[in-house]
Amino acid sequence: MPDIKSLTTATKIDVPAVNELVLKQINSQISNQLNTGVLVLDADFNIVIWNRFLQVHTDKVPGNIIGQSIFSAFTELPQRWLSRKLSSVLQLNTPSFCSWQQRHHLFELPHTRPITTDSEFMAQNCTFLPIETDANGKHICILIEDVTDACHYQMQLQKTLAEIAQISRIDGLTQIYNRRHWQDSLEQEYAKARRHDKKLSLIMLDLDHFKLLNDDYGHQGGDMVLIEVSALISTLLRVEDTFGRYGGEEFAIILPETDSAGAIELAQRICRVLATTPLTYNDKVINVTVSLGVAQLSDKVSNYEELITQADSALYQAKSRGRNQVCNAAELAS
Amino acid sequence: MNEFHLTEDQQDCLQELINIAMGQASDQLARYLNTFVYLKVPSIESVAAEDLMKTLSQQKNTMAVVSQGFFGFEGIRGEALLVYQEEDSGRIADLLGYEPDELSQDEQLIDISSILTTTFLNVFAQQINNQLSYNAPKLLPNVQEILSEHLQQMPFTWDLALKVNINYQVTDYSFNCNMILLIPETAITNIKHVLDRILEEY
Repeated sequence: MPDIKSLTTATKIDVPAVNELVLKQINSQISNQLNTGVLVLDADFNIVIWNRFLQVHTDKVPGNIIGQSIFSAFTELPQRWLSRKLSSVLQLNTPSFCSWQQRHHLFELPHTRPITTDSEFMAQNCTFLPIETDANGKHICILIEDVTDACHYQMQLQKTLAEIAQISRIDGLTQIYNRRHWQDSLEQEYAKARRHDKKLSLIMLDLDHFKLLNDDYGHQGGDMVLIEVSALISTLLRVEDTFGRYGGEEFAIILPETDSAGAIELAQRICRVLATTPLTYNDKVINVTVSLGVAQLSDKVSNYEELITQADSALYQAKSRGRNQVCNAAELAS
Repeated sequence: MNEFHLTEDQQDCLQELINIAMGQASDQLARYLNTFVYLKVPSIESVAAEDLMKTLSQQKNTMAVVSQGFFGFEGIRGEALLVYQEEDSGRIADLLGYEPDELSQDEQLIDISSILTTTFLNVFAQQINNQLSYNAPKLLPNVQEILSEHLQQMPFTWDLALKVNINYQVTDYSFNCNMILLIPETAITNIKHVLDRILEEY
């Protein structure tokens, strides 16, 4: 193997246009006007240089800092972990990094947005750079960037995304799941039940004579009924059940690991509770009843849509038998 | 034949440079970790952009990807991806000499990736008389969906990727990962010039 270095051209070094003293002044002023903290340590982790950014962001007296160990000057630093990290920089001669995404901050520094952000300390991206000098051995330069803004906006974005995800699943009026999310859930529960050979039942229910309610009490009265009925039914369900608004006054409940007997029992309880719980709207008592159709997953069903169709037919049957009752899809088939 | 593909001589030369870089990097690493580091000769492949996309999306058990940008003189720049296959990262903290509760698993992965990438690329840069700077390493979230998306959204279009398969074995600890160097067109041309310069004198 030839000496590779002799073969490649050396990187051109710019000849400074000013003398060394001027260059030193320029460099030091740049360092002091940077909006980034600069801290230089010797190989024993004692502070050699710190720039104005750090001086104004800490309450420490400049004279006392130089020569001190970084760990006694900044007692908040995790000593064992940081020592190991700093050693890697010295020994491997490679840069090392610490992002706010893993550690919000290393140095407890106040930030310039105390009102609009909720964190007490400045969020930081820290970079640890190996510095080689002619004398006094190796040094480490720590750059501390203020990323409070980026951190704040990222947090807000995540919060907003979580809210949007929640809103996209919820029905605005009744605050139960909307049809789309309910249907996605059914698709998943259907696949799960098929895969693990588990039971699965469905209840579809519809308010009786809802159109008359709207005519008698106005749409606001109708809305109130939808809200109250949703809330009332929610109290009767298990956590694993998925309750959603299927359409205008039609609701649907997914019951994982439940056979038709269990589903009928629940449907009857819902029917009974609603019929015996009068609602009041503008001092007027409204009596609400529901009709319910129940279907259990069987071998005859080849997709989740068919299960909905079965429960829907049972619901239709309950309506035609006089409303305020439960009908089982299995009865229809036989 | 793609004009960015390396000739056999260029490929051999590059393999040699990478072997040296990897050897020195693992030596440094062994000293730092204070343990014996066994390193197989790394295999390198150059992969066309579309093929890499295919390979990576087929790797179902990919657990994490850490990305780190690098840039140096003479237009040599790119992005290093460290791809971890299995969930054997639980002991990286031990390996690095940290207490497990001192840092999260994400931070451990980022740390070891940064050390592997920068020690290797530093020595590699020295070989071609260059010096590299690095961006902060970043853990790509939700690897499965994001990786191919990330590759498509790179700030530069890249045509050739250098896939370096690294297999590190540290005493009583086996540790595997793939390093993938994504290099844009102009940087490939520049690397080829450097390789040709070396070959001319050989």
